[in-house]
Amino acid sequence: MKSLKIKQLIEKIEGEAELDFTFNEGKIEDVRINFGFYRGIEEILQGKDPRDALVITPRVCGICNHAHLLAAVRAIENGYENAGVKIELTSKAKDIREFTLACELIQNHIKWLYLTLLPQIETYLDCKSEENYAMKATYLSSTITKALAIFAGQWPHSSYAVPGGVTCDPTYLDVMQAQSLVDESVTFFEQVVTGLSLDEYLAIDMCADFHRIGGDFGKLLHLIGSNGMTEIGKSHDRFIVFGESILSKPGKSIVTTVSRVDSTFVHETAQMGTVAKAVTYKNKLYEVGPLARGMVAKTPIVKNLHKRYKDSLLTRVFARIHEIATLLAHTKRLLQNLDLNELSCTLDRKSILNDFEGTGIVEAARGSLIHKSSVKNGLIEQYEIITPTQWNLSHGNKEEQGIAIKAMVGSQNIEEATFIFRTFDVCSVCTTQ
Amino acid sequence: MMVTKPRLLWLQSITCNGNTHSFLNHPDLFSILDHFEIVHHPALEGSYTFNDVIEGIVPCDVLILEGSFTQKGFLKGGVEVSSLIETYANKAQHIISAGTCATFGGIFKQKDPENISGFCFDLEEQTSRYEMYRSKLISLPGCPMHPKWMSYVLLMIANKKKIAIDNLHRPVELYGYTVHTGCTRNEYFEWKIDVKNFGLKEGCLFYENGCQGPYTRGSCNKILWNDTSSKTRVGTPCFGCTEPNYPQESLFRTKTNMGIPAKMPLGVPKRAYLTLTGVTKSFKIKRFTERLMEYDK
Repeated sequence: MKSLKIKQLIEKIEGEAELDFTFNEGKIEDVRINFGFYRGIEEILQGKDPRDALVITPRVCGICNHAHLLAAVRAIENGYENAGVKIELTSKAKDIREFTLACELIQNHIKWLYLTLLPQIETYLDCKSEENYAMKATYLSSTITKALAIFAGQWPHSSYAVPGGVTCDPTYLDVMQAQSLVDESVTFFEQVVTGLSLDEYLAIDMCADFHRIGGDFGKLLHLIGSNGMTEIGKSHDRFIVFGESILSKPGKSIVTTVSRVDSTFVHETAQMGTVAKAVTYKNKLYEVGPLARGMVAKTPIVKNLHKRYKDSLLTRVFARIHEIATLLAHTKRLLQNLDLNELSCTLDRKSILNDFEGTGIVEAARGSLIHKSSVKNGLIEQYEIITPTQWNLSHGNKEEQGIAIKAMVGSQNIEEATFIFRTFDVCSVCTTQ
Repeated sequence: MMVTKPRLLWLQSITCNGNTHSFLNHPDLFSILDHFEIVHHPALEGSYTFNDVIEGIVPCDVLILEGSFTQKGFLKGGVEVSSLIETYANKAQHIISAGTCATFGGIFKQKDPENISGFCFDLEEQTSRYEMYRSKLISLPGCPMHPKWMSYVLLMIANKKKIAIDNLHRPVELYGYTVHTGCTRNEYFEWKIDVKNFGLKEGCLFYENGCQGPYTRGSCNKILWNDTSSKTRVGTPCFGCTEPNYPQESLFRTKTNMGIPAKMPLGVPKRAYLTLTGVTKSFKIKRFTERLMEYDK
């Protein structure tokens, strides 16, 4: 039987992508993922003041802009350290940064659940409900970004993290408001997303207890489970995390072994036929994102799911939504422990270095985000941004197919394959910065 | 009787999706959108697919544009985005350019300044499309635009009211102010007291830290971001993101001539500014040298 090629335009993925499917014997054999327009943020930064990256790089992406800000500020701080200027952030500054980043991740994951996953699975399974999922998505995302904005001034596109700390100087009036917004988000998660209290939900560590999960998450799990979708979407089962966060330490996970990583072995290459660049670690492809974090951190429920279903669509979907709960619990703790007497920024604004090279790593919603800044005579000579989607959506190399491609291969229809594609929480704009 | 609602189409060109996500933060999003039929939107469900949009068959009364433009070289589904947008711009009765990219060119213009611009403006200059679309054009610059600026325009359209605009087609009710208006640091501005370092609520960011609030049009400190704050309120300088020439260079540093900010507050002659500075600087007011509040240590 001869092979058949079909082109499909995928929308609502923070832009669009074109997938070229190759079918053989009725099954998908290969997929080419093509993204649109190269915007050249790295080139735009050349010749600019290094701190301008704090304003320009968030504009890589409207949904994960805050992660770009933090990667940019860490790249400068790391550069200062490499040049011998010690930067010691106060716990207040560290915790506020961690808080605002967590808020952005929650915003992202909840939009993915309600704007992408639930509507798409209902379309795919032809069981459209009358639910206004978008209203649920925006209720929680706007509540949690409001808590973020109390410290960062606004979301999207804040530039409140500066070398040495943060620009805000919050009062308890701010902290109490933020706490109340987090509480509101927790209530939503409990009553609408899971039908369980946050503590009850977080106590679930075996997939045998999934029947206890209610709400929209329960509905999603039921749809995946009762339609034979638990085993599809498997990829290379190889995971990597470069950033340190509450969700995971850095490391890579292959089979059952977790080992150390060093970001200097990350390699970026141009790909034929698309403006997106591919990334490898020691010439191997790895999946990044919530599932990778769950595997490297050995999160009990993720490990339990993985034992049974490997890196299938179900495990991947679960790991992402599960992060919402972990992050909500963490944001509450962060606010409770803030000491407002500490300094917000420890680096004097007049201590400016003119020559340095630094790397900033952040665990963004979709996985590890890396910024590298190289500064000469007070100006950016070179700026490199490696986004999470570059890992997951690359075409692969000579030896093996890319992560998302491998997950789609073997599927018998395009609708199923594109749903698998969306479980990676695809971001078109980040892939083609 | 079925009342037909104006049909709303949101199209993206060279963008980060920041305006899309900014608008999704609106607390009354669905009551605003209820005045319209969403035919297509980058994130929300609409009555037509993106393939329909590409085929040019989608009806459109209100067109929202996000992202900067290039006449050639950006294709979606095999179609030039510029021609796609022109197709719908011709159909629409209202065109809203959402954000600085769509309005003036913005950040992405810097990649290819010769070829990338806003839809009807290239920085402050009118593009060749301007004459064709001027009668239906509303500009909402901002990186991103504020969700309530967008809802104001949409509700004025839904209520069939005329929106007063300036020469760059910005609604005067939104851009008549400067970002400085309503800033919680205004007392420090008046008395010329600079912030000592980042991370302090006391002090003004205009003199040394690059704040462009006093000469940037926008209502960020009147209509707060996320209904709660603004850049300057959290100690971040205003980067002038609503202005045609955004982004400028060295955004955290004020350009000065002989120690005086090179750019004056909007409409203020240098002589008036210097006279006032001379007077205010001759006083030392104790309250402005102290912290606003102290906690028990």
